[in-house]
This record gives sequence, C-alpha cells and structure tokens, in this order.
Amino acid sequence: MVVIDTGTGTSHKVEIEPVDDRDFASLTKARYFFDWKQEKEFEMYKLRIANTRDILGLVSVERIPEEWRLHIRLLTVSKENKGSSKKFENIAGNLLTFISKIAVREYGELACVSLKPKGLIARHYIDKFGMNVTGLTLSIEILEIFNLIETYDHD
Amino acid sequence: MTSRKREIREAEGAEYGVDSRYSSKKDRLDDGKALMEARLQRMKNLSADQIVKAKLLQLKLKMDEYIKEPVYHTHSAFTEFLTSYIDAIYSRRNSFAKDIDVTPVLLSQILNNHREPNEEFLLRLMIHAEKTYEHVCQFHKRTWHQVYFQEKICDVIASQDKWRPDVEKHVKISKLAKVL
Repeated sequence: MVVIDTGTGTSHKVEIEPVDDRDFASLTKARYFFDWKQEKEFEMYKLRIANTRDILGLVSVERIPEEWRLHIRLLTVSKENKGSSKKFENIAGNLLTFISKIAVREYGELACVSLKPKGLIARHYIDKFGMNVTGLTLSIEILEIFNLIETYDHD
Repeated sequence: MTSRKREIREAEGAEYGVDSRYSSKKDRLDDGKALMEARLQRMKNLSADQIVKAKLLQLKLKMDEYIKEPVYHTHSAFTEFLTSYIDAIYSRRNSFAKDIDVTPVLLSQILNNHREPNEEFLLRLMIHAEKTYEHVCQFHKRTWHQVYFQEKICDVIASQDKWRPDVEKHVKISKLAKVL
C-alpha cells in the first residue's frame, strides 16, 4: 500500500502495524483528534511511511465474530493530513483496506466491516468507498472489499 | 456558520476522523441485527464465482499471515492450505490431480501427510496458483514454497527434544579454541 505526497505526486510505501505501548506518548489529542488511550483495550493499528517513525493515521476496531464483522471504532489521520491542505493522500483508504483484509482472512465471503459516522461524513464514506447503508450504519462487504483491495492494496 | 460552510467543514472532517463507537451493548446488538438482515439479502446475490474469489483471497491472506508469523501446529499447515485451495476451486480433488498431471493416489497421499510433496509437485502447484490468482489478487509465486519450508523450519525447531540428543553425538567443534 502507498500514500501519495500531494505536493510532488510521489508514492511512498506504507507499513500498518499494531500500536504498542511506547506509541501512546506521541498520540496526542491535538494531533490525532481523539483520546487514543481510551482505546487501549481494543485492537489498534498505526500507519507510517515504511522505515519512518512518524504516525500518519490510526484505527481502532472491535471484532464481532458472531456476526462475521469488524466494527471500526475510531479512525483518524494526523492533523497535517486533514482537509484540502493535506500532505498525504490515501491514509484513510489504506487503513480501511487493511481492516477489510483482516475481515476477509477471518470470515471469507461473509466478511463485513462496519462504521457509524454522523452527518455528511457518512455521505463521504458512501461516495468514496462504496459503502452500503443500513439505518445509520455503513458497511463494506465482500464485493466492496474486492474493489478496495484492487484500489489500495498495491505497492 | 452558513450551511455551505458547515458542509465543507463536515466533509473535511470525514478526511480526518470517524468516531463510530457504540454508546452501549444494546446499541451494538440492535445495529448488528438490522445489519445482518440486510447483509443476508445481499449475500443471496453473490455468484458462485464471487464466492470462489472470496475463498481464494481468504486463503492467500491466511498464507501470508502464516509466512509472516508462523505458528507451530500439530497438523500440517501446508496440507491444510493445499486442501482449502483445491476445495475452493474443484468439486472433485481428482480433477485437480488431473490438471497438474499427478495421480489421484499421489495427491491423496500428500493431502493425508503420508508423503512429502516433491519439487516437481511444488513447481506445478506454483504455476497452477499463478494462473488461478491472476484475476483474484496479487499472489507471489514463492508463496507455496515459503509455506512449505516455513513449516519445515517450525517442525525442526519444535521437535528439538526428539532429534537433538542423537544428532549432537555426531557434531564436534574441533576448531573452537581457534575461533575464540
């Protein structure tokens, strides 16, 4: 997976790995928008450009195996990657694809990744990632996951 | 704030973060129930080919995980993955044997761990998988070999108690003093 430098158009290979205890000191609300320490009991992953230490994005998830589903609790990019002046493109898409791959590895054709964003944010996720809508819940299932993998899962 | 400004702000917000934590277990269960009903409807529309593609993708992701973080099993990971691979594509295992030009007996022996796959078998499997995964996802040609040899390494390390006493009798370091 890669992120694109919006200034130069250069691709940078990324690594997505579990967050470890040493990371929490740098995960401030000022830069990552949420109190990530509250998520310690859940699975959390960080996205970095390969061979660098700076965290560009984070996601926390809850596994719901009885429903063959992974629910995204929090997902964020770092402050400088927010909005129209963002430094790198594709951070959220890569994190979503990474979680989707875990869902497929665990649940095969039954895999589902869900989230429940509010307001216009939902519209953005529907348009950008082709999410299905059920009430206030958005989900991607195997067909949408195929598309995500095709779009994001390459170097 | 005008509604347009609010729209832009919210759209930008989508880029930086989503807080979609459930407020309660009931909230999660209610959502799960509604979502499951909708998903089951959508699942009915999956074609047989799409299901095969999903199974092959799942298998590839499992093999990647095993290569990255091998776990010692009492059963054979290689034959387990091979069985899943064949069963995802073929309704009869003999058809796979025919496609890679081996006898059904040989394939059965390999799948039941009564015989090790030889290099020829691994090469044919490699080519078969390359062609099969062409329209599924990226699949590295070294994957089957990596799984096979990863398992061998796991076996050797995990069974040291059994082989080490005998093998050690045959090993001496006569130049140890010089090395130190």
